[in-house]
Amino acid sequence: MAGTGKAHLRNSPAPILRVEDLVIQYKTKGQLPVQAVSGVSLEVHSGETLAIIGESGCGKSTLGKGILQLIETQSGSVVFDGVDITKLSKEDLRQTRPNIQMIFQDSISALDPHMTVSSIVEQPLKVWNRGNAEERKTKVNDLLRSVGLDPEVVGDRKPSEFSGGQCQRISIARALTLTPKVLICDEPVSSLDVSIQAQILNILQEMKNRYGLSLVFISHDLAVVRAISTRIVVMYLGKICEIADPDTLCETPRHHYTHALVSSVPVPDPTIKNRRAILQGEPPSPTNPPSGCRFRTRCPAATDLCSTEEPQLRESSPGNFVACHHPRS
Amino acid sequence: MSDLISISDLVVDFDTKRGTLHAVRRVSLNIAAGESVGIVGESGSGKTVFSRATMGLLRGKRVHRTGKIMFEGTDLRLLNNEQIREYWGTKIAMVFQDPMTALNPVRRIGSQMSESLMKRLGMSKEDAKKRSIELLSQVRLPEPELALQKYPHQLSGGMRQRVMIAMSIACNPKLLFADEPTTALDVTVQAQVLELLADLRKDMGMSMVIVTHDLGVVAGYTDRIAVMYGGEIVELATTTELFANVKMPYTEALMNAIPRIDRKRGSSLAAIEGMPPDPTTTHTGCAFAARCPYAQQQCRDQHPELVDAGNGHLYRCFFPIGGK
Amino acid sequence: MATVLRLLPLPAWDFNDSDALGVGMFSKGHILGTDYNGVDQLSAIIHGTRISMAVAIVSVLFAMLIGGALGILAAYARGFIDAVITMYFNVTLSIPTLILVLAMVAIFASPDPFNPGYTIPRILVLIIAITFVAIPILGRLVRATAMSWAGREFILVAESIGVKRRQILWQHILPNVLPAMLSISFLSAGVVIVVEGGLSILGAGATPGSSWGSLLARNRSDIALTPHTTFIPVVAISLTVMALNYFGDYTRTLIDSRESRI
Repeated sequence: MAGTGKAHLRNSPAPILRVEDLVIQYKTKGQLPVQAVSGVSLEVHSGETLAIIGESGCGKSTLGKGILQLIETQSGSVVFDGVDITKLSKEDLRQTRPNIQMIFQDSISALDPHMTVSSIVEQPLKVWNRGNAEERKTKVNDLLRSVGLDPEVVGDRKPSEFSGGQCQRISIARALTLTPKVLICDEPVSSLDVSIQAQILNILQEMKNRYGLSLVFISHDLAVVRAISTRIVVMYLGKICEIADPDTLCETPRHHYTHALVSSVPVPDPTIKNRRAILQGEPPSPTNPPSGCRFRTRCPAATDLCSTEEPQLRESSPGNFVACHHPRS
Repeated sequence: MSDLISISDLVVDFDTKRGTLHAVRRVSLNIAAGESVGIVGESGSGKTVFSRATMGLLRGKRVHRTGKIMFEGTDLRLLNNEQIREYWGTKIAMVFQDPMTALNPVRRIGSQMSESLMKRLGMSKEDAKKRSIELLSQVRLPEPELALQKYPHQLSGGMRQRVMIAMSIACNPKLLFADEPTTALDVTVQAQVLELLADLRKDMGMSMVIVTHDLGVVAGYTDRIAVMYGGEIVELATTTELFANVKMPYTEALMNAIPRIDRKRGSSLAAIEGMPPDPTTTHTGCAFAARCPYAQQQCRDQHPELVDAGNGHLYRCFFPIGGK
Repeated sequence: MATVLRLLPLPAWDFNDSDALGVGMFSKGHILGTDYNGVDQLSAIIHGTRISMAVAIVSVLFAMLIGGALGILAAYARGFIDAVITMYFNVTLSIPTLILVLAMVAIFASPDPFNPGYTIPRILVLIIAITFVAIPILGRLVRATAMSWAGREFILVAESIGVKRRQILWQHILPNVLPAMLSISFLSAGVVIVVEGGLSILGAGATPGSSWGSLLARNRSDIALTPHTTFIPVVAISLTVMALNYFGDYTRTLIDSRESRI
């Protein structure tokens, strides 16, 4: 499987965000740079929830930060609203910030511990000079209420007084202050309790509908992602394996990795005996990825072709793509 | 089937700056030999404190335990530090959540494993090394001889967890606690580790207690499940019975809040509004009443006790689902 | 003396009593006794406080201002700027501190050959020398703390909102590093007092004879006759350093308790 190939990119209707051949690498001490993301292309359409799923080391979080240019990208383009933001100057890039926002996994450390909740949510407005003090206060209170927090109660308190779920709500409120068009969520519910997860996911859904957001939802939890996304991108070791709508992906996965992933997710029902496709071996190190298809070392269907040629993304059914020489049928 | 360990009315309190923290409020649980029990709960439910207090890992001036922990005829709660240490690793063992922090990062795997073998079983260095290799093969670690030479950070998360499991079963314990054994692992590795634990249990005839927040994990690997909330067991039943006839509204709410891989997109997640109860307060009535969609006045006034629905299915609710 | 007066707004207090020479502690009129020359020890100690504290406070203040600023800058800017600053720190640190200070005192506090009669006051040289030596030490500590803050997610969040980098430094990193800087400062002040004392014993201390260390140095030789004159300055130094350490620890626990609540 390989992430190269842009068969899945469309031109109309124009996507709100398009990533092409993005390469992100980081330096390691004394060794060659490691590619966390190796030539990934994808697009986000207005109003959709695109999920990027994969296990640790697949590069999904790095991809999220790279799209926002919060970390350096080596090559490739990120086109937002017709402008390639990788080519912008620092100041011009800063100007695009209000349009794409991000919320992070560790909700508590994503908030400045010495600022009060109101000032955290207000900060984006102050940075961009939106409205006067009066208007800002009203907006902050509205936003806090819309995420289920009482501004009277929480406004003057510091983040350390709140739980993970509440901090995540504050982050969401802050992210929506500037009414962005795209919201990238990097594992927003992974460190939360199950019952709180559902609350936050519902809030995200509500905000999406209210503000007409497009969401990029990065996660490792396939069950969560199936419930809320419109399309799912599966990543492995820096490349894309498969792109499909949730029902198709989970019921008839075409890529062998996706199949293993789907069957590994524990189902809370003792009557369903999991026909688990247990993957052999360990994920290879990103410093030395296998040649050709990166998944071939653990794939039950690997052949010689898989080691010589990198598979491209091909359409397997309308709107669904898979990068595999021998996809499952 | 005789009970291997019988915990009666265990209460665990901590003295903290903010007052007494009631982590576990009267929990009773019996585990038979060879049985696998899951303890499910969210943070603040007391499940981790319960398992560690049972094993005796929580000690010190600020920890207060009352109740009985009968294991093979001895009340573990009454043992002092020296005595309870005899049990650790040999009769009762625990596998922890984060293998990275549970292993000593500056010692090689081989030396860590040999150390416990030599101390506990009095083995010689050579014998300990041989046994370590045996154990690592038992936990399906590839190339065990090489692994012995490695440091923990050179192994992946799944491999570290296997090493931990190997260390904990080294002395053939009768009871194994697994505290969130798969939470820190990728889902494909989770499956491998859970299968491994199940197989080991069968081969060694161990009893196992899996403490987790993931209902999916317990569904496939346990004989019985205890659901904890607010420091108490609120439902206890065999696994099939629990999922087929859930009685406690919290358990039902939990099941509905979890997104499932086998349900179609768009199925809404029924969130449980509100927050878990604060363990520093004592509350009247049912701990879940504030968040329960079926709560009535009685639920707020009176604290429900565990009721037996027959066939060993216990629940703590005045108005259980499906009637009494 | 004039310089010292200018440095601290305290009345000069020079209490020589030639009537009581070498009197022990708790004697009439001299609670802490006098030394061989009749100088009342209590007033000597009080007098010395000004010097010792002046050196400690001023040098730590400036070292923290400069070193702290460099440390924070290095931590947040990373890359080339960090490399340059760290290199400066490392180079300065590699010079043996004692020798550096002694050298500076020797060079700058000697009479100027072109303008005899004017020497740069020793205390000033001492302060500058200690500051110079302390900058990299404090700077590295601050850099480490600042780096741990700069790696936190809320900094990334601030960038993603579009906060300018300079603003991030002032609004987000500095306020969070400040408590640590304060605590480090207290502890450092204690160290400087001891250092100054040591230098005085070597004869390189501030205005000869005034600070606690000089007191100790001067009275060393009289230890057989007036033992109290030796340990009085030592006690003074120890108590002060302990108090500063306690303060430093206290502020540290305040910071830690705030963070550990997370």
